[in-house]
Amino acid sequence: MTRRDMARYLARRLAQAALVLWAAFTLSFIVLYLLPGDPIEIMTGGGASGDAVDPAQIAALRHEYGFDRPLAVQYLDRLAAALHGDFGRSVTSGVPVLGLIRTGLPATLTLTGLAVALAVPAGAGLALLATYTRTPRLRRLLLSLPSLGVALPTFWVGLVLLQVVSFRLRLLPSAGDAGPAAQVLPAVTLAVPAAAALAQVLARGLDNVLRDPYVETAHAKGAGRLRVHLRHVAPNAVIPALTLLGLVIGELMTNAVVVETVFSRDGLGRITATAVGAEDIPVVQGVVVVSAVVIVLVNLLVDLAYPLLDPRIVLGGRAS
Amino acid sequence: MTGLVTGLAAEAPLTAGPGRRALGAARLLLSRPGLLVSVVVVLLALTAAFLPGLFTSGDPLAAAPARSLLPPGPGHPFGTDQLGRDLFTRVVYGAGPSLKVTVVAVAAGVVLGGLLGLVAGLAVRWLDDVIARVIEVLLAVPSLLLSLTLVTALGSGTVNVALAVGLANVAGFARIMRAEVLRVRTSAYVEAAEAFGARRHSVLLRHVLPNAYGPLLAVATLSTGTAVLAVAALGFLGYGAAPPAPEWGALVAQGRDYLSSAWWLTTMPGLTVAAVALAVNRIARAEGEWAGLR
Amino acid sequence: MPLKVTTCGAVCAVLLVAACGSGASAGNPAKAGGSGQPKPGGRLTAALSSAPDCLDPQQAGSSTTITVTRQLVDSLTDQDPATGEIVPWLAESWKAESGARRFTFTLKDGVTFSDGTPLDAQAVKDNFDHLVKLGARAVQASTYLSGYRRSVAVDARTVRVEFDHPNAPFLYGTSTTSLGIVGKATLAKPAADRCASGVVGSGPFVLDHYTPNQEVVERRRDGYAWGSALAPHKGAAYLDQVVFQVVPEESVRVGRLRSGQADVVSLLQPQAAPQLRQEGLALETRSPAGLVYSLNVNVSRPLTADPAVRRAIQKAVDRRQIVTTLYGSVYRPATSVLAGSTPGYTDLGADLAADPAGAGRLLDGAGWKTGADGVRVKDGRRLSLVLRWFSTYAATQSALELVQQQLKVVGVDVVLKQTPVSQALQAFKDGDYDLILGDAPSADPDILRRYYTARGLNAVRLPGGPLQTALDGQAAESDTGKRAAQVAAAQTLLVRDAYAIPLFEGSVIVGVGARAHGVRFDSAARLQFHDAWVS
Repeated sequence: MTRRDMARYLARRLAQAALVLWAAFTLSFIVLYLLPGDPIEIMTGGGASGDAVDPAQIAALRHEYGFDRPLAVQYLDRLAAALHGDFGRSVTSGVPVLGLIRTGLPATLTLTGLAVALAVPAGAGLALLATYTRTPRLRRLLLSLPSLGVALPTFWVGLVLLQVVSFRLRLLPSAGDAGPAAQVLPAVTLAVPAAAALAQVLARGLDNVLRDPYVETAHAKGAGRLRVHLRHVAPNAVIPALTLLGLVIGELMTNAVVVETVFSRDGLGRITATAVGAEDIPVVQGVVVVSAVVIVLVNLLVDLAYPLLDPRIVLGGRAS
Repeated sequence: MTGLVTGLAAEAPLTAGPGRRALGAARLLLSRPGLLVSVVVVLLALTAAFLPGLFTSGDPLAAAPARSLLPPGPGHPFGTDQLGRDLFTRVVYGAGPSLKVTVVAVAAGVVLGGLLGLVAGLAVRWLDDVIARVIEVLLAVPSLLLSLTLVTALGSGTVNVALAVGLANVAGFARIMRAEVLRVRTSAYVEAAEAFGARRHSVLLRHVLPNAYGPLLAVATLSTGTAVLAVAALGFLGYGAAPPAPEWGALVAQGRDYLSSAWWLTTMPGLTVAAVALAVNRIARAEGEWAGLR
Repeated sequence: MPLKVTTCGAVCAVLLVAACGSGASAGNPAKAGGSGQPKPGGRLTAALSSAPDCLDPQQAGSSTTITVTRQLVDSLTDQDPATGEIVPWLAESWKAESGARRFTFTLKDGVTFSDGTPLDAQAVKDNFDHLVKLGARAVQASTYLSGYRRSVAVDARTVRVEFDHPNAPFLYGTSTTSLGIVGKATLAKPAADRCASGVVGSGPFVLDHYTPNQEVVERRRDGYAWGSALAPHKGAAYLDQVVFQVVPEESVRVGRLRSGQADVVSLLQPQAAPQLRQEGLALETRSPAGLVYSLNVNVSRPLTADPAVRRAIQKAVDRRQIVTTLYGSVYRPATSVLAGSTPGYTDLGADLAADPAGAGRLLDGAGWKTGADGVRVKDGRRLSLVLRWFSTYAATQSALELVQQQLKVVGVDVVLKQTPVSQALQAFKDGDYDLILGDAPSADPDILRRYYTARGLNAVRLPGGPLQTALDGQAAESDTGKRAAQVAAAQTLLVRDAYAIPLFEGSVIVGVGARAHGVRFDSAARLQFHDAWVS
C-alpha cells in the first residue's frame, strides 16, 4: 500500500468517525428532548417543597437554561457548543457537564482497562485450551463456560463476589476506591461477560482454522501439536477477536454503570446512573457522546492494527 | 453484550420443512440432556409468568413480620424477606413482570426492526443508504447505554423499560431483515415471478417474509436471553416495575440492604435470572446446531 | 440516584422544606470519645451517602448539601436541639416587634467573611434582599422570608427586617443554613456559579476544593472567633481539614468506618443498626424535629372525603409492627404528625394505637361491606386507594408495603404508585392520589402550615376551616405559649380527623469512629464539625 492510499484511507475513516459522532449527538438529542419531565422542575426540587414556586421564576430559569427556545434552535446551539466541548450544565448540580464527565472518566477507563487486561488472557486461554484438549468431556466443559459467562447477570456476579470474598472470607475490601485491592472485584465482575464473549468467538475461529488444509500440512511436516496450535492456528483467530474487542470496550464502559453501582465506585457509570434517575438530560447526552468518542477511537485503532497482525489484510479492503 | 451476541446469531440461518421439523426437534432434544433441561426451565418460567398460582398458593405481597428474614428451609425453599414474605412465592410471581417485559421488548424489537429492514431493503437507493448508516451507528452503541438513554427520555416503569430494551435491539433485527430482502430480491425465483408479470413488491413480500422468518427467529431467541438480562439490570438499577411488584432485578436490588446478613435475598432471584438466560441461550444455540445438522 | 436512597433520601430529599441546619447543642456532644482534651490539628473524614447538589447554603436542597455548607457559613441565631430555644450566634441579641412583623438584630462586633470583608448590618440586608430575588432557586430560604418587605441597616451593627404580615417562624429561619450569611463577593455571582464553586462565608471552615460526585474538602479558617452560644468553644476549629467523601453504598460506608478510612459515616439504614452495634461500632442516633413520616390524605377525593374511611385507616395502621419489623429499636412509632423534639409537639399516641377491629367496625357502620375479593364495597364502588410516593423515598418502600398489608386486613385496598421526583409538582397540582407519603425535618412547627394549608403545599387539599385558622394563627403569634396552643390544636385536628396518617419518627444514624470526638448534631440531626477533633 502506498503512503497516499494510507492517507486516503485514514481520511475516510476519520470522516466516518465524525459522522458517527454527529449521529450519536443528533440521535441522543432527538430522544432526550422528547422527554415529558421538566428539567426546570427537577432543579427547583420538584416543586414539592412547602411553598408553590412562582411560575414567573420558573419561566426565568427556563429562559436562562434555554429550554424555552424552538427545538431546532436549541439543537443547532447545542451542537455548536458541543463542538467546542461544551455540553451545558447539569440541571441538578449546575456543574458543567464536561467537567463532571472528566472527573469520572479516568476511573471508568482504568476499570475498563483492567477488565480488558483480565478478559483477554482469560478468554484467549479458555479458547486455546478448549480447542487444544483432546478429551471430549473436558472440551465440552470448557466450551460451555463462555455461555455460562454471558448468561450471568453482571450485577449479581458482583454481589456474589462481595458476599463471598469480602463479607465471608474478608479477603478484599468490599468496595470503594481504597487502593488497588479494591479494584480487583469490580474488574473481575466486569471482565466475566467480556471474557466469555471473547472465548466464544475465539473458540469458533480456532475451530475453523483447525480444519484448514495448511494446518494439516504443518502437522504433516512434523511440527508438534502445541507448536502448530500456537504458531499457526492461534494468530488466525486473533482478527475476529480483535474486532470483537472494539465492540467489547464500549459494552464494558456501559456495564460500568452496573458495576460501579454495585461496588460504589466513583466513575462515569455512577454519574450516568445518577443522571438517568434524575432525568438530567445534558449529563446523559454528554455521556452518550463521550462514550461514542471512546468507541470510535478504539475501533479506529483496531482497524489500524489489522494489517500489523495479518499482512494479508489490506486497509480499505483493496487488494494490493 | 447484546449487540455482539445478536451479531453472531446472524450467521445461523434456519429453514425447514414442516414434516421433518417436529421429528428432528424431538430427536435433538432427547440426545441433549442440557437442552432438555433448558426447554423445561423456559417452559416453567413462562408458565409461572402467566399462571403463578400453579406453583405456589402463597401471596407474594402477604407480609408476616413474625417470620421475617428466615433462611431457606422447609416451608420457605428460598427463605423469607424483611417483611416475612416468602421469597419463592415472590420469585414465582416475579416471572410475570420480568418475562412479559422481556417478551414485549423482543417483540417490539422484531416488529420495528423488521419493518425498518423491510423498508430499507425495498426503498430507493438513497433511503436504503441512510437507513443502513443509522443501523450501523446504532449497532456501534452499547445496547445498555441506548436503553439508559431511552429510559431517561421515557421515564421509568415496566412499559418504558420494555420499549427501551426493545428499541435498543431494533438495529440488529433491521440489519438481518434488510440483508434478507436484498438476498431474496436478487434471487432467481423472484426475478422469474416478475417476468411473469407479478407486481414486484407483492412478490417480494410473499417471498421475503417466509425466508426472513428463520434468521429473525434465531436472532429473536438469542436476544431474548440478553433481554432477560437487560430487563433485570434496569430493574436492578431501579428503573423497572414499581414496587411492590416482585420484578427479579428489583428483588435483587432490595436484597442488597441485607447483603451481609441475608444472602438468600440476592442470591435466589439472581440465580433465577441466570438460569432463565442460560436456558434461552442454550435453546438459541440448539437452533443453530439444528440448522447445521441438516 | 434511583437505586437506593438511604434514610437521608427519605428524610431530606424532596419534601424537605425547612433546612434547619442550625448550630449545635452544647449539652449534646456525640458520646463517642467526647472525653479528653480537644487536640488541634489533623483531618477528619466523613462519608456521606450522596453528593451535595449545590455548594450554596442558600440554594441548598438536600441534607448532604446542608451538612457540607453548614461548616462554611454562620447564621444570625442558633437553635438548641434539646429545648428548641433560639440562642445568639452572629446576632448577640434581637427583638421581635409589632406582632412578629418587625425583627431587629444586633450583630456581634468584629465578624468578618473569609475574604476579609466585614459582616455588618449592610451585609445582612444585602443577603435578605438577594434571597428574595433568588426565588425559585432558594425555595427553602425564601419561605422563611414570606411577606418580606425590606431590611434596614440602622447602623453598622443593627439591622431591622420588616414583613408585610406577621412572620413568627422567621426567627427560627434565621438559625438555619438556608439563611446563612454569605459575603458580597458571593452575592455578586450568578446563582449557578455559586452552586458550582461555593460561597464566601464567615464559618469555621472554608472550601478547599470540590470534586463533583467524589469529595468536598474544607480547611480551617484561622482567626475564627464567633462560635454560636451553643458551641463549647468559640474560637477556630480544631481540625485542619474536614473531608466529605461521597459514598452512596451503605455497605461501603460501613466498611470505611470499620477500616478507619472514614471517621464519621452518615445515614445508616436502621435495619443494620443492631448488628453493627453488636460488632462494636459506635452509633449515634438523633430524631430530627419536624414532620414525621406520614401518609397525607387527599380529602378532595370521593373515597377519602368520608371521615369514617380516614379514621379507619388511622386505626388499621399498626405503627409498632412497622417499627419492630423493619427499623429495630432505632425508629419510633409516631405519636403525632410532629416529631417529639419539635417545639409545640403534642403527644397523641392514644389516638394512634393500632385497632384493626375498631377500624372494621367504623367501616361496617359507614356501610362499607366486604366484597368477594376481600375489598370493601359501597354503592358499587371498591374501597381502593392510590398511595403515591416519590422515588427518593426508596428506603421506606418496605414500610409502605407493610401498611398496604395492614390495610388489606380491614378490607382497604391500596395501590402503591411510585412517582419520579421530577413529576412531584405535577402530582401535587393534579391531586391524583388518595394518600401521599411525606416527611419534612424542620425545627419549627410552622412546617405544618407550609404543608397543610392552601397557601402552602396543600397536601390534604382542605378548602380551609379550623385547621387553616389554627395554622395561620400560630404563624402570627409571637408569644411562645399561645403559639404552642395553636400548634397543638392543629396537630389534634390532623390526627383525630385523620387528614394525616402519621407512621413513624425517623432517625438519623451516624457511625462514629474511635478517632473522632466532639462531633455535634443540630436540631435537624445534621452534623456540625466546629468542635470536632481527632485523636
